[in-house]
Amino acid sequence: MTRPVILTVTRDIAAPPESVFDAWLDPAIARRFLFATPDGEMITCEIDARVGGRALIVERRASGDARHHLLFDEIDRPRRLAFRFRADPAKEGEWTRVTIDFAALDAGTRLTLTHEMDPAWAAYEEQTRKGWTMILANLATALEKDNG
Amino acid sequence: MVERLDRTFAALADPTRRAMLAQLGQGERSVGELAAPFAMSFAGAAKHLGVLERAGLVERRKAGRQQLCRLRAAPLAEADAWLRQWEGIWNASLDRLAELIKAETKA
Repeated sequence: MTRPVILTVTRDIAAPPESVFDAWLDPAIARRFLFATPDGEMITCEIDARVGGRALIVERRASGDARHHLLFDEIDRPRRLAFRFRADPAKEGEWTRVTIDFAALDAGTRLTLTHEMDPAWAAYEEQTRKGWTMILANLATALEKDNG
Repeated sequence: MVERLDRTFAALADPTRRAMLAQLGQGERSVGELAAPFAMSFAGAAKHLGVLERAGLVERRKAGRQQLCRLRAAPLAEADAWLRQWEGIWNASLDRLAELIKAETKA
């Protein structure tokens, strides 16, 4: 069975993988792009960039403070970054998993971000992985039928 | 919300149940029809359907001597909404990152 992917976002960025990778772990840079919104004010961007280390990124928005928690599982510069992730109101333990791959291109880097939703991915990882393979196909069909 | 999604994904984590949902995606089916492709007993099929029902993915109704099942897409729609929300957030972050790096390269 292929690795199920629930959400994948890709960007080609005109800079070497090292620069793109470092942007995610340098608080001075991360605070300027990660979870930043046009009208929000970044009030906290703390990053303990080591395996097992955590990060807290808080942006003040009209709707309230948006708090983002990260827990690093893999820091393989400049190839791969993987962390458990949750945003309030998800509680401690209700992690999702984010993996970012940085591939060198002739003129820059292809960044591929994968976000897997599994609130209990540590306990149910294999079981849930299997479950994801068909979700999107089913979803499209189901939604069409429900709306149609 | 997260607990409900967890139930949805747990229900989807079984290939038999996914195949049942795929069948129901085509329209209403009796429990017997759902059991048929798996050489499974009525009781075995009913057990899987129970999991799908508790996850809110399937509704059952009686039609004469038969029980008919239909797909309920609401929990899937919730998962879909979650996906779209985060897709938007990551895209916005990556747009900003690309711009930031572009600006620094020019400077």
